[in-house]
Amino acid sequence: MKSSLADHKVGDRVILKEVLDAQLTIQLYSMGCVIGEELLIERKAPFGDPMIISVEDSFISLRKDDAQKMQVILSE
Amino acid sequence: MEKKAFKVEDKLRLVLVGNPNSGKSTLFNSLTGLNQRIGNFPGVTVEKKIGSVRINEKVVAEVIDLPGTYSLSPRSEDERVTFDYLNDSTRTDLPELIVVVADASNLKRNLLLATQLIDSEQPTILVLNMMDVVERNKQNIDIDKLQKRLGIPVIPMNARLGKGTRELKSIIGNYQYKKANKFIEDHESKDALENTINRFEKIKGIIADTLTKIGESRTAVVTRKIDSVFTHPIWGFSIFLFILFLIFQAIFSWSSYPMEWIEGGFLVLGNWLAETLPQGVLNDLLVDGVLAGLGGIIIFIPQIAMLFMFIAILEDTGYLSRVSFLTDALLKRFGLNGRSIIPLLGGAACAVPAIMSARTIANKKERLLTIFVTPLISCSARIPVYTLLIALVIPADKQFLSFNLQGIVMMGLYLLGFVAAMVTAFIMKYVVKSEERSHFVMELPIYRTPRWSNVAMTILNKTKLFLFEAGKIIIAVSIVLWVLSSYGPGDEMANVDAKYKSELAESNADVTAINEKIATDKLEVSYAGHIGKFIEPAIRPLGFDWKIGISIITSFAAREVFVGTMATLYTVGNEENTEGIKAKMQRATFSDTGEKVYTRATGYSLLIFYAFALQCMATVAIVVKETGGWKWPIIQLVYMGALAYFSSLLIYQIFS
Ligand SMILES: Nc1nc2c(ncn2[C@@H]2O[C@H](COP(=O)(O)OP(=O)(O)OP(=O)(O)O)[C@@H](O)[C@H]2O)c(=O)[nH]1
Ligand SMILES: [Mg+2]
Repeated sequence: MKSSLADHKVGDRVILKEVLDAQLTIQLYSMGCVIGEELLIERKAPFGDPMIISVEDSFISLRKDDAQKMQVILSE
Repeated sequence: MEKKAFKVEDKLRLVLVGNPNSGKSTLFNSLTGLNQRIGNFPGVTVEKKIGSVRINEKVVAEVIDLPGTYSLSPRSEDERVTFDYLNDSTRTDLPELIVVVADASNLKRNLLLATQLIDSEQPTILVLNMMDVVERNKQNIDIDKLQKRLGIPVIPMNARLGKGTRELKSIIGNYQYKKANKFIEDHESKDALENTINRFEKIKGIIADTLTKIGESRTAVVTRKIDSVFTHPIWGFSIFLFILFLIFQAIFSWSSYPMEWIEGGFLVLGNWLAETLPQGVLNDLLVDGVLAGLGGIIIFIPQIAMLFMFIAILEDTGYLSRVSFLTDALLKRFGLNGRSIIPLLGGAACAVPAIMSARTIANKKERLLTIFVTPLISCSARIPVYTLLIALVIPADKQFLSFNLQGIVMMGLYLLGFVAAMVTAFIMKYVVKSEERSHFVMELPIYRTPRWSNVAMTILNKTKLFLFEAGKIIIAVSIVLWVLSSYGPGDEMANVDAKYKSELAESNADVTAINEKIATDKLEVSYAGHIGKFIEPAIRPLGFDWKIGISIITSFAAREVFVGTMATLYTVGNEENTEGIKAKMQRATFSDTGEKVYTRATGYSLLIFYAFALQCMATVAIVVKETGGWKWPIIQLVYMGALAYFSSLLIYQIFS
């Protein structure tokens, strides 16, 4: 079941499946946030904007708008 | 254009390329012995820097430090600098070796750029930096295997300690280019995204073979723990405000002691010089002009150094990126970006590098707004002006709601600058049109303990720079000003002497008082006096006299010149030089009405003027450069000038 990253809560581990914005895709990719990677939601600022996720050992901040464009599934 | 076959010659060029924050500048400094800015956040270096290093007895290499980049398709101006440099095919003067600097504690991501560079078919070697972090995280990298899989030399490194530079030099000295196999064949990928996915798959395979790790990374665990406090919605903000308050307290109260010693020292020096040197024009010029101007600024060194120290510590720990995270939601509403906080905080030191650091903001509109409002943040050059004026018009013991009023006014000025910046950004948000989407995709580095030697070097270098830059301008301005205020048109100066001649001749004449009157009258008929009187009508409604007018003009060279100008204007022609400039200004009166100049109303009005006006040529020049034209700096100059004038007018009318 794909859902947007913004809808997940802190502590969820998810797999990135699709990014719905070309410009954002390139940005994420070059930072190691590639389709098929596992992301961990580290923390969210009030109202979920912005948030911090981690990929491997890098921490990356994202806005809610960005997270809404990222389709993920829960990881096992 | 085809480059010639690579061969190590007596001269070659090393180009440091890598992800942001991977330690390129640290390696650059360690190789070249220079002191480029280092900081623990992405986007410290925003322009190309050049140095040189001896590789062995025969070979000397030029070293180029470039801004960090995540990929070879630039998305911000700093990344573009690197992109343009790498793609400039007209540069064929020296054989070039690309030195990819990778953060080995984040190997997978860092290899992405490395393999892209390998595929660009230029001579490339890979430095695996931060090996100490890898060790601390109980990871192990099989260097030999990695070397074979990538087909290029790999050198482990700890750039902070300079460990690995010897091996690096020896590998460069013996380097022979042979074409590495392409990592990803061109026909394997139709577009950039697919290329990246393929590349990443292959990198994963290499990582699985070369990197062994046991459990979670210690550094990530520690960073997570610290972040649970520092980025906490309530604690995070409280801590940030507390830190700002602490910095403020340190600058404006703890540094008052060394400042007093310096001021005392300069008075002694001035009087000693005046007595020892032979009397004459040179003596006057040196003591009244240069020394007075310079002493006025040197006493502020403790404050400036303290400010630089705090900024260096914040930059070195990784905390700044957290402040970006905390403030993004707020700044977004004002048309800015979380990344804008780095220029804005940097603006408290100096707007010029701060405006350059806005290059990391990818969105053009957000970047422009950040550049536009950064000069409204009170910079270190305003510290001398604020300190002098506040001491002048507010008694030290005056309380407001049981707080020291001087401190409150000082803090109020900083807040005022910040609020003005935000309001301006908010207005601009509706004026400047843009369709471009805005992101806040930013890497948060792990926390590191600041390197004290680096902090000390930063303080030393920046303070020296401040002193030399300010000193140069102040000496130049002081000399011009001294000439303008010591000579006058026609025989007006002589007339003043003639006027008081009979008075002086009287037996019971108070010589000191009369001499002072002569000095005052002479100054008014000097060239400086004439210029000042000419502009006085325009600034009188703000409560300013002609001497302030002159200071405002000279301040366009740089704001801190205000203090030097005041010092010169109040010292010229005075026989006695026993008081600091504060005391002299305290006694100043308007020449026509005889009222005191530095009342509370004039003081506040002048403070506001300096808070808002764009009196800094260096800032104008950098805005021209960064925005690519005169349009924005002119708008900025006019806007800030009008804001300053009318705010001062309002304040003066309220308080007088
Ligand atoms: N532990 C450790 N830290 C390092 C090492 N090399 C650099 N650092 C730290 O990493 C941070 C980034 O260093 P910089 O040299 O500014 O990185 P950069 O690649 O020039 O960064 P940009 O200019 O932003 O692209 C600083 O805090 C350095 O002190 C290393 O070998 N080990
Ligand atoms: Mg750098």
